[in-house]
Amino acid sequence: MVEVELRGVWKRFGDFVAVKNVNLRFPDGKFSSILGPSGSGKTTLLYLIAGIYKPSRGEILFDGEDVSRLPPNKRNVGLVFQNYALYPHMTVFENIAFPLTIKGLPRGEIEERVHSVARMLHIDELLDRYPHQLSGGQQQRVALARALVKEPAVLLLDEPLSNLDALVRLEIRGELKRLQRRLGITTIYVTHDQSEALAMADLIAVIHRGEIQQVGSPEDVYRRPRNLFVAGFIGMPPANLVKAAVTRTPTPCVVIAGGGEYCPGEPLASKLEALGLEAVVAAFRPEDVVLGEHPMEDYVSMEAEVYVVETLGRENLVTLRLPDGQAVKAITSPLLNPRPGDKMYVNVEPSKILLYDPDTELNIEAIEAAPAARPVSLAGSPERRRAAQEED
Amino acid sequence: MQGEGLLAGLLGSLKPRRRRRQPTEELPLASRAVSYTVIAALLAASLPIILSYTLLVELSFSASFIATPFEKTSFTLENWRLFFQGRLAPTAAQIYTPSYIRRMILDTLIVALGVMGVVVASATPAAYAFSRMNFRGRGALMRFLILLHAFPGVALIIGVYAIYVYTYRRLALGLHAGEAALLAYAFLYVIVARASLEIPMSTWLMKGFFDRIPWEVEWAALVDGASRLRVFTRIMLPLVKPGLAALSIFSFMAGWEELIYVVVFLPSKAPTLASYIHSQLSGGAIETAYLPVVAAAAVVYLIPTILFFVFTQSLLVEAAEGAGVKA
Amino acid sequence: MPRPRLPPPALFLSLAAFLVLVFYMVPLILTLWASLTPVRNWDIAQLRQFVGAENYRRLFHLIRFDPDVSTVVKTTIVFVAGTLTVNVLGGLLLALAAFIIEERASLGFRLLWFLPRMTPVAVFGLLWYYFFYPQGTLNAILLKLHLISHPVNWGQDVLPWGPWSIIIFVNGLVGVSYGMIIFYSAFKAIPKDIYRAALVDGARLRDLVFRIMLPLTRWHLIFVTVWQLLSLLTTYAHLFVLVEWGVVEKWHGMTWALYVFETAFGSAVNDQALASAAATLLVVVGIGLGLLTLRLMGFERELGAIRGEL
Repeated sequence: MVEVELRGVWKRFGDFVAVKNVNLRFPDGKFSSILGPSGSGKTTLLYLIAGIYKPSRGEILFDGEDVSRLPPNKRNVGLVFQNYALYPHMTVFENIAFPLTIKGLPRGEIEERVHSVARMLHIDELLDRYPHQLSGGQQQRVALARALVKEPAVLLLDEPLSNLDALVRLEIRGELKRLQRRLGITTIYVTHDQSEALAMADLIAVIHRGEIQQVGSPEDVYRRPRNLFVAGFIGMPPANLVKAAVTRTPTPCVVIAGGGEYCPGEPLASKLEALGLEAVVAAFRPEDVVLGEHPMEDYVSMEAEVYVVETLGRENLVTLRLPDGQAVKAITSPLLNPRPGDKMYVNVEPSKILLYDPDTELNIEAIEAAPAARPVSLAGSPERRRAAQEED
Repeated sequence: MQGEGLLAGLLGSLKPRRRRRQPTEELPLASRAVSYTVIAALLAASLPIILSYTLLVELSFSASFIATPFEKTSFTLENWRLFFQGRLAPTAAQIYTPSYIRRMILDTLIVALGVMGVVVASATPAAYAFSRMNFRGRGALMRFLILLHAFPGVALIIGVYAIYVYTYRRLALGLHAGEAALLAYAFLYVIVARASLEIPMSTWLMKGFFDRIPWEVEWAALVDGASRLRVFTRIMLPLVKPGLAALSIFSFMAGWEELIYVVVFLPSKAPTLASYIHSQLSGGAIETAYLPVVAAAAVVYLIPTILFFVFTQSLLVEAAEGAGVKA
Repeated sequence: MPRPRLPPPALFLSLAAFLVLVFYMVPLILTLWASLTPVRNWDIAQLRQFVGAENYRRLFHLIRFDPDVSTVVKTTIVFVAGTLTVNVLGGLLLALAAFIIEERASLGFRLLWFLPRMTPVAVFGLLWYYFFYPQGTLNAILLKLHLISHPVNWGQDVLPWGPWSIIIFVNGLVGVSYGMIIFYSAFKAIPKDIYRAALVDGARLRDLVFRIMLPLTRWHLIFVTVWQLLSLLTTYAHLFVLVEWGVVEKWHGMTWALYVFETAFGSAVNDQALASAAATLLVVVGIGLGLLTLRLMGFERELGAIRGEL
């Protein structure tokens, strides 16, 4: 098993930059996920690791050894494609055996290894069939078997669940995770589905427009989004992002429309002070909102008007409007059933509020903590990043 | 397989040029060394083609006869002057006039445009019917079209000529048609007969284009109260413009390059570029001295081919999406 | 505006149907019928006489005892087999080469090899006339390289393989682009992920070609082979100019299709009855191969279903 590292990797297609200065380390034996919206460059990143693409600049290292120039067949990686890419003219057995046949292994060894991996994935009954005779879930297992049979150093998975039914997806999700634990194989999993990444990965790298936005544990990424993109991307629905003014009395306080006031303690207060910001973006998750008819003590409370109520079954999703027109979403108990037009209070625990610099879009808490320590790049002008968000 | 098509195969890879949204990179199928070796081998294999076309063009501008493109020769426009003055065989007794040359080019053009017109006018509505209408024998007829294409043309031409001989004699002897009328009949006959050979494949080609138009477009027009004929002329035809363009180009070329039908059916006083070149070389009567002038004629004859390669690419990119096969 | 009385399908099909009837069906029947009559020199009144299988007896007699006609049979076999090999294998090699090299170069080569197909027969014949005749390019190059000491008339004097090679070469250049283009688009039609998967699975170029690309395109291979076989049996325009212009010796440049044409239209014979009998044999073979093609091309899929009930 190996550790995979990307150092200053760029990838250009003509004048289109698909991957921008990516520095990343995928730990040995861990399940890592590259998470990003479609077109963010995540598949390109995976193909770079597999050797299907060569980086325009930068290096890719397996256990410290530069493999950037090696063709895919010299890298010993297993890759599962989104559409499985099974060879339509070969039986399941021949599909799984293909990497071994290419290597010219003896017939007996091939049979043994194919059967053992097929047993592991519960497809040993299907070995004589052709891909078109299989269900989606079965094809997916065959693709996985083909990737695993050569005992790769790295297992790469490109949206492997996206073509499956919801139920099969949950089943294979659990199985995949158990399998990875058991084999202890370095796994990199590309997905646009945050619930998959949050549920399975030890480490998540969020990518957008070819740039890495944040690297961290699922908890990190969810609780402490490093910038506005991550905050607005992760979560169902994602965090509320509310523009707010900063007042100084003399300690800095954040004033949100509808009467919400939040005076952060140290060290956040002095950071806010040091940055000298006039305005910030306050972020809080819809599930952290407590809706009530009155403001709550020790909470930041904002008066708002109910706009839409969506019944989701287990809970209700309420969209409200602050007096200045900004929208806020709240997840509430289904028992609370306000009507559009009702005045209500949006109460949020101060500790659940994160503050972002509207220009750099960075989490203010994270700014001075270690701006250069993390091997992530956030270069680029604010306008460009805003343009990026508008596109989404 | 028919659907994948000749055009798609020739130009299909140009398609992504228009959309830059999804960036792609060529597959690393072969190492750079292998790739360059393959290019070198292809170049070597292409040498006869490159040599022969180069020689033809060079010869038409050459003061003396040359056997290879590398031979020293001086540049001249003399061959072109001789050609356009009608002095096609400068040392032979036969002297033509400039009007004869115009006539020759015009005749070739008449046949080409005629074939194009007949093919487009007949194959397009037929293709529409096969693509969009349910009628008894649809499958059988489409099958039959493929079989028609498989009929040996040489078996047909005997019967086609027999009909021509019969009708021509009736016109000349029975109806006492004048010389001009008979010549017009010869042209009409050669055009329609030649165009008919193109109908089976052309219908398949156009059907491919019609097949790609969403049914909903047509249904919307029908629901709006249009008749089938109106839907065809007002809605479908504008939508298959790339297909019409491809069909026009291919049928024009078929008529333009035709040699056999022209030689067999048209009288010698109605020459085309093909029958001129044929007359200069057949019977082994040619002397090397005239070959540069014949080369000039051949270069003129090649102009549509050259235009085809220079100007129609972007059009054919769209046509490639319609696809179809010309064997 | 008066409404057309015909039902719509008939209306749309009428022009094509008329032309097919007059210029395919009637001539075909005429040709078949002519093979049972004594018609010569386009004396079509003779079409009223019936001679039974007489022309077929003559034809088989000629094949057996006339050395020229038996040469035609041999030439046909060699020409079809040779050109078919060139067209299918050459087309396959060209498609492979075009597929693995860089896109811009690939397009250039594909267009270059498409050029012969788009060149008028008379011009293409002329190109190879310049190339092969005694004072032409080939001899000039060979003389320069001192491979021959005096010009050789390859098409006339080097029998039988001189003319046979020339007709295979010239028709191969025209025909090879068909296979090239069908195979190329077939390779392109294989999903890119299949190639990527194979590369990641450790496949080299050789494995890609023999284990992935060729097995996945074997139906195209069969289709092209049958379709080209059919085309080669019936094609004669290029052969016509090569023979008429003396590039190749008459009987060694003449295939069965051209023999039919020369027998019907040639200045020497003008025997349409015999030509029709020879043509009928071709028609039988043609229909057989045509039916085979239909089975191979996945006809039902091509036909497409009619939606709605209009």
